[in-house]
Amino acid sequence: MSNLTIALAKGRLLDPSIVILESLGYNLDELKTSRKLVIEDRPRGAKFILAKPMDVPIYVEYGAADVGIVGQDALRESEVDVYELLALDYGACRLVVAGKPAYKDAEWRLLAGLRVATKYPRVAKKYFSARGLSAEIIEVYGSVELAPAVGLADLIVDVVDTGGTLRANGLIELDEIFKSHAALIVNRASHTLKVDRVRDLIEKIDSPQRRGERGEKQK
Amino acid sequence: MIAQPLDKQLPHGVADLFFNDAARKRAVERTLAETFTRWGYSEIIPPMFEYYESLAAEAGPQLREEMYRFFDRDGRTLALRADFTIPIARIVGTKLFDRTMPLRFFSVGSVFRYEEPKAGVRREFTQAGIELIGANTMDADAEAIALAMTALRDLGLNDFRFTLGNAAYLQATMRDLGLGDAQLFLLHEALRRKSTPELTRLLDSLKLAATYKNTLAQLPALLGNADVLDRAVCVNDEARVAIEHLRAVLARLAKFGFTDFVTLDLAENRGMAYYTGILFEGFVEGLGFPVVSGGRYDNLIAHFGHNIPAVGFAFGVERVLVALRARGVAKASVAPDVIAATDDYARIEQARAKGQIVEADVLNRDEESLREYARVRGAREIWFRDGRIESVMDRQEGV
Repeated sequence: MSNLTIALAKGRLLDPSIVILESLGYNLDELKTSRKLVIEDRPRGAKFILAKPMDVPIYVEYGAADVGIVGQDALRESEVDVYELLALDYGACRLVVAGKPAYKDAEWRLLAGLRVATKYPRVAKKYFSARGLSAEIIEVYGSVELAPAVGLADLIVDVVDTGGTLRANGLIELDEIFKSHAALIVNRASHTLKVDRVRDLIEKIDSPQRRGERGEKQK
Repeated sequence: MIAQPLDKQLPHGVADLFFNDAARKRAVERTLAETFTRWGYSEIIPPMFEYYESLAAEAGPQLREEMYRFFDRDGRTLALRADFTIPIARIVGTKLFDRTMPLRFFSVGSVFRYEEPKAGVRREFTQAGIELIGANTMDADAEAIALAMTALRDLGLNDFRFTLGNAAYLQATMRDLGLGDAQLFLLHEALRRKSTPELTRLLDSLKLAATYKNTLAQLPALLGNADVLDRAVCVNDEARVAIEHLRAVLARLAKFGFTDFVTLDLAENRGMAYYTGILFEGFVEGLGFPVVSGGRYDNLIAHFGHNIPAVGFAFGVERVLVALRARGVAKASVAPDVIAATDDYARIEQARAKGQIVEADVLNRDEESLREYARVRGAREIWFRDGRIESVMDRQEGV
């Protein structure tokens, strides 16, 4: 059987992803104990790559990894051409438009020279142009919530989990762009070249029994 | 801010090729052209640009969007060719429609697409492909696929695998759904990404008969070997014909010796482009996207006045090069065989006539400098001024 390379997104998706893969019998101990970014589980013919969430779709699209586990937020932003074979029941969050409470009654739609700070420039651009709004998208790399407070932007587009960070920074949610969760993606070449391994992985992760073991609700 | 002068820069998406990179690209193009020629295909060379109206014929919205457009002095819109299939369809539909069929053409050259700046996307890239025109038989379909597979072998890429689908099956299945364009678009998108969760959610939201829902829901699972054809639900006769057609194409491919190289994929729709029948893509290990893709387009030439069926495919030459480089089998090199300082031109000409690359010294180098130059150039031998021949020690691989 051919080797399978799986790219895992660092951050909040990593631990639950490791739990799933371990429940399938893979050995990822080295990932937890060392600071290596690539580890191998030779007996099971698998290799694991640790990458930033935004990079996982690219690794997969290019074929550097066969399979990836990544949030849909990063997936939509990267606009890659890969297969999303499976939705996983963790990493739930939402991508929203947020701003100061003054913008609540959609006043922001009337704003000329609307400025939007975000880590998701492509998603944001699509959202605003689909509504006929000419927004100036400002790409920032962290602490997006800060932007309205310091006058960098009128609105932000960002992921929210509980909404606590928004509230703490005096912002409210104005619109939901989409709901996101972890997804299992496969590049189009591996999907056919390694069809058996990929199908096997999907079936194991997706089996009702495994989902039950992970405490997920039955589909 | 003062603008950066552009005179030394390159626009996004184009590349300069020289030394071994240029030689390797030409070697791939030559190999493909030779394979196509052996199967009876002759070269066709469409113009680099023509009227946008011709090139936009039957092109999907995405391809239209990506075309480089500009105006001539009379204000008419021109476009750079974005593929070879549409210009060839125009040539056949306007000039060659009454010739004895089939026509077999191959083409090699640059095509241009204005794609969003994204890593790895080239705006000028090279296609090498064929069109088999005037035959809508299973044999024609099988020939197109078998030729693409043979070409991969001739390139030294033996670890390939193809996906094969039939646009007619999907069209027949979707025909009677009564969905609007927006809903169809979402359906195609979910299928394109093989996103079962999204498909399920979408189907839940649509008012459809249960039989249709079940048929659509199982589409992503219609993937694998020939038993997929037995599992496929056919909602009408057209769908049944499409499935039987695939079965026949597979049987013919087996006669070419290509039995275990195909994964059937009935959900494949390639973004609703001009395809009407089989669709196929060839993949090699280590590259996440296809190196070759093609299919049947029976309505395209009709746009230019004559209803003639056709099937074809195109290799992405740059993608082939990436795959070859990853395997270390990119062979072509620009290293010469001999660096010659001698003025024995008869001998030099003799060697050249035998096919050796002999590079003359035009800088009147001394012996030491000749050795260094030959080493850097990757030459095998030095022919010194006094007639001595010396082998080059530890020469480099060339550039």
